[in-house]
Amino acid sequence: MNGWWSWALEPFGYEFMQRALLATLAVCVAAPMCGIWSLSRRLVYLTDAMSHGILAGVAGASIVGGSLLVGGLLAAVTMALFVSLLVVRARVPEDGAIGVVGQGLFALGVLGVSLQSDPKALSHILFGNPLTVDRTDVAIDVALAVAVVLVIIALRPVLLATTFDPVHARTVGMRVGLIDATLLVTLSLTMVTGLVTVGVLMAVTLVIAPAVTARLLGRSLDSMMAIAVASGVISGVGGLLISYHAGLPTEPMVALVAVVQVGLAAVWIRPAGAVRRTLLRTRGGHQASCPDMAVTPVVTASRPAVRSSGRSRDSER
Amino acid sequence: MPAAARARVISARALTVTYGQRSALYPTDLDISAGESVAIVGRNGSGKSSLLRALCGLEPAARGEVVLHAESCHHRRTDVEIAYIPQRSGARWELPFSVGDVVAAGRRRAWWRRPGRADRLAVDDALNAVGLGELASRSVTELSGGQAQRVLLARALIQQPDVMIMDEPFAGLDLATVDAVIELLARLVEAGTSVCCALHELDIARSAFTRAIALADGRVVADGTAAAILDTDGVERIFTQRART
Repeated sequence: MNGWWSWALEPFGYEFMQRALLATLAVCVAAPMCGIWSLSRRLVYLTDAMSHGILAGVAGASIVGGSLLVGGLLAAVTMALFVSLLVVRARVPEDGAIGVVGQGLFALGVLGVSLQSDPKALSHILFGNPLTVDRTDVAIDVALAVAVVLVIIALRPVLLATTFDPVHARTVGMRVGLIDATLLVTLSLTMVTGLVTVGVLMAVTLVIAPAVTARLLGRSLDSMMAIAVASGVISGVGGLLISYHAGLPTEPMVALVAVVQVGLAAVWIRPAGAVRRTLLRTRGGHQASCPDMAVTPVVTASRPAVRSSGRSRDSER
Repeated sequence: MPAAARARVISARALTVTYGQRSALYPTDLDISAGESVAIVGRNGSGKSSLLRALCGLEPAARGEVVLHAESCHHRRTDVEIAYIPQRSGARWELPFSVGDVVAAGRRRAWWRRPGRADRLAVDDALNAVGLGELASRSVTELSGGQAQRVLLARALIQQPDVMIMDEPFAGLDLATVDAVIELLARLVEAGTSVCCALHELDIARSAFTRAIALADGRVVADGTAAAILDTDGVERIFTQRART
């Protein structure tokens, strides 16, 4: 037991590991919370493309000597704006618009990197390295993460309403476009939070993978949020510890721990579902007392293919 | 009370809807009175959904306008409150949101305001009204089709609407749930709410609604009492002939 405690705690006796832990935890809490909404609103491809597009802003900021974080944020917001313009004004299919704008910005970013005096100088933006963060990096990371978490908590009711039924949300006066834009900016902030710790390419893993784990295991929005954050924290702490003891790079290890959890959740979900169904059966009479109750999950409702004269039977689900 | 004697609550004046070059609804005039139940019938593509969406402001009018008569509000408001229930298939039922959260989404409030005690009480009242009082904390993924439709009704009820506009509310429901929904709509109409439904179930339109408006190719081809419009000849005329252009 002592061996395990020592294995888990000994690395954090070093100051650089404490800073790495704080910076990584900031991303690992904020990114999964954002990821739940990214996944629920089918924005995963946009999230992935945004992680590539951010490179253009970072490279541009580096050339003009500006803040890399602000440059990355500007690139992400620009990307969201151009995608919206192409979709709304030019009626380009959304995935096509995301692909074009994301790859275009990525190409600009690669060009910008090649113009640096030392092209390798920006590699930490792509791949990150939490072990080299200083106090300022940690402070910025934590501040951005807190901002993301607060926005996600504050917007919960409107995000839920516009995700579940955007058409209805418009009829009760919600500005769906503005809410979408706010979520995209928050996603950009999340990516930027990951710049110096896990890097933008790995940050996208921390947005998506814990959310997928939560979607597999969670049975309500609150439980999904809790599972996603727990999965993110396990990824951050686990990744740091494994990389420290095995002498492997930290950022891919953090991402791999997050991905392994998705695999474990996918393997676990079937026996867990069987146990739950057995428990429901043994409760006895639940179905009989609620005749209009179905325990099988509902797939998106579809209209019956054949309608009997006038009234139709409840569709099979 | 005859419909003509009641105050108008919502009107369409030369209301026209187009999608690109195609006209989905040609200039249409109609008045709906407080406490009136109106069935909108017609074939697929006849313009029913376009009319309903334009009445709630979801579809911009290419020409004409929708007029709301605020003096007819029966909840002492200065604006006409319109509750729209889209087709059930449009919502994301596969996401594990709670029934209570979904119903609360119908309540108007500033985006920064968290749902409070009054909101939770309103959710409970709306769910009790549709017979789902026990299910506030249940996930919508676990609902049957009938329960899902009643959740959408509860979400509309929480708005305390003056006009309730519904797009195919009976599609895919079993007979017991259809009867429960009809009973609920009748109670709303009795309380002064106007109900306007697009539907394909003509026997329900005939028996549960006082007025029917038939559309064909984006034009109103018949408007009158449901019993008169939807007699055998009327049904044949609506569903076999095309509108005269």
